[in-house]
Amino acid sequence: MKFVVSSKALLQQLSAISGVIASNPVVPILENFLCEVKQGKLTITASDLQTSVITELSVDAKESGSIAVPAKILIETLRNLPEQPVTFTIDQASYNIEINSENGHYRLSGENATDFPKIPVVEEGHSVEVPADVLASAVSNTIFATSTDELRPAMTGVFLNLNGSNGTFVATDGHRLIRYRRTDVASGAKASIIVPRKSLNLLKATLPSDNTPVTMQFNASNIFFKFNNFRIICRLIDERYPDYENVIPKDNSNHMVINRLDFLSSLKRIAIYANKTTHQVRLKINGTQLHISAEDLDYSNEANENLICDHEGQDIEIGFNARFLIEMLNNMESDEVVFQFSAPNRAGLIVPKEKNDNEEVLMLVMPVMLNNYV
Amino acid sequence: MDAFYASVEQRDFPAFRNKPLCVGGSRERGVVAAASYEARQYGIKSAMPSAHAFRLCPQVIFVAPRFEVYKKVSEQIRQIFFQYTDLVEPLSLDEAYLDVTEDKQQIKSATIIAQKIKAHIKQTTGLTASAGVSYNKFLAKIASAYEKPDGLKVILPEEAAHFLEQLPIEDFYGIGKVTAHKMHLMDIRLGKDLKQQSLSFLQKHFGKAGLFFYEMVRGSDNRAVTPNRIRKSIGTEKTFSSDLQDLKTIHEKLNELSVELTERISHLQDSGTTLTLKIKFENFTQVTRSTTASLPFLQTPVIYQTAQYLLQSVVIEDRRIRLLGLTISNLMPKKVQTTGSQLTIDFD
Repeated sequence: MKFVVSSKALLQQLSAISGVIASNPVVPILENFLCEVKQGKLTITASDLQTSVITELSVDAKESGSIAVPAKILIETLRNLPEQPVTFTIDQASYNIEINSENGHYRLSGENATDFPKIPVVEEGHSVEVPADVLASAVSNTIFATSTDELRPAMTGVFLNLNGSNGTFVATDGHRLIRYRRTDVASGAKASIIVPRKSLNLLKATLPSDNTPVTMQFNASNIFFKFNNFRIICRLIDERYPDYENVIPKDNSNHMVINRLDFLSSLKRIAIYANKTTHQVRLKINGTQLHISAEDLDYSNEANENLICDHEGQDIEIGFNARFLIEMLNNMESDEVVFQFSAPNRAGLIVPKEKNDNEEVLMLVMPVMLNNYV
Repeated sequence: MDAFYASVEQRDFPAFRNKPLCVGGSRERGVVAAASYEARQYGIKSAMPSAHAFRLCPQVIFVAPRFEVYKKVSEQIRQIFFQYTDLVEPLSLDEAYLDVTEDKQQIKSATIIAQKIKAHIKQTTGLTASAGVSYNKFLAKIASAYEKPDGLKVILPEEAAHFLEQLPIEDFYGIGKVTAHKMHLMDIRLGKDLKQQSLSFLQKHFGKAGLFFYEMVRGSDNRAVTPNRIRKSIGTEKTFSSDLQDLKTIHEKLNELSVELTERISHLQDSGTTLTLKIKFENFTQVTRSTTASLPFLQTPVIYQTAQYLLQSVVIEDRRIRLLGLTISNLMPKKVQTTGSQLTIDFD
């Protein structure tokens, strides 16, 4: 088998999908790209068994055939070649691969393509079409709050719930929770699934930034994303997702409206002085004044700032992990945010003051208990 | 102490005196924890499978260990050490390094101190001890083993080089059976052979230990005697009387180990954030799996659940399990935070 392809075009596709390849895969063949040529089209697959990515590009080829090519060597070679057509000659009996460029010849040994694990296909199930930019913002708004605790597998993914009229994306690590709802993501059917974090990271990296339609098709065990010349298939997390609606408090007595960027930059400065383990910052609201402070007793560090806010409710003092607040505020777009809470030991909520069309964001964060909230 | 556990048994039970005696499990899978000097004449050594010991000497007597008694004796000898110096670094129940650079009784001579301690131990416990005296830990340790039992060996600084050159390499501290065999294949038999090797040669063949051997054979060891050796892990393990195969039993045993580990932690100020599961299979191959949590392990259910999770990541197939162990490391005080504590969403 022989094919000719632009080095740059090939590298672009390979770089986009190589992120799925695990550094030390369970099955050694997964260190390879599966390359299949058929009717002038090269199909490349990379997989870690949980997630598989497939991409296609046109090549100049007369014959059909397939081979597994060591991913690292191939990418390194292409990365260091100037843009030019390169010829791949594959001996399907010995799995030898020869790459010919203007600069020289490179030989490496591949593996039998039939040893590459079969990629599941999603048959039947539901199908939804979502614009790429909407999906990208749903993913980036939630993924940072997923857990890395493998003892709680459900929380290591993003929960997607389609209820007929809208689509809700939820992520939580047990300390904070994001509910991101889109009224423009809807399918006729009702369904809920948990998509693993790694797959979504990969999706995020490959999604175009425009409104290219993305087809999402899923059943109980797999989800399939299709856009442009990419296909991503991943195994869903088969767990029960925690009942998130029940933990969102509905009767918050305190409402504070504040400029998001002012609050964010203040928190970034104060956080430098916070305890290195708890990252605790103290918010003290007196009338329209918000006093933000932190101290690290171990190093005798301390920081204080004052901001003006609109506040409804009793004066209150409450502690939070600064990192959580910073991440949440960073992921919002609204100029002003509404911070709601009721007691130093009850969940706080952050919502944008001005809503985007079709979008509803709610972020919940648990406090860090203050030792002396007198 | 000389043949410590065995000597204690012979002291307390006159019937065992002058007879080959082993402390340890006598059953099929037991191992020898200590062998009396009479038993050693038959080639019986500690850590040897008991069945093997029986083959070497069919009339050998086996007794079960009485750790309570050994601990008491250990405490007695430690009290004796403290009369001479506070810089005592215990190595085990019956062994310790003492730094007598400044001794409490102003005796000044390490050799006389060693004699006094030996006599004191004999008088208090009725047992004999061997002492090694030298200018660093490594030489003192070698010296202590040199004239067992009831020995006292002094290696003076000017004697050290000659002493080490003549010493068979298997007598060096840190060179076990495997390393000794490897060195013999390279025709390294005595200290002087080892001394001739370059540092790069030793590092190439023995890795990290290469530097250690290189310095050791030159009598160089600058480790201090540290009275409070910091505990680095808390663990428990169990070798089963018959190898485990059934998954349900494996889980039961893991639960028992989790209970035992929780019990151990409860007596300590510290706990750790890393849990390690150790599995030894019937063919003695061993695997360990670890995971690190954000807070120290304190409760049985959490430890058990984490251990089960670690177990899942081990491919057992049809191998039987001989030993299971659980260890907590990355120790820190149980109460981590001096400031506030992060609250958790209550999903239930």
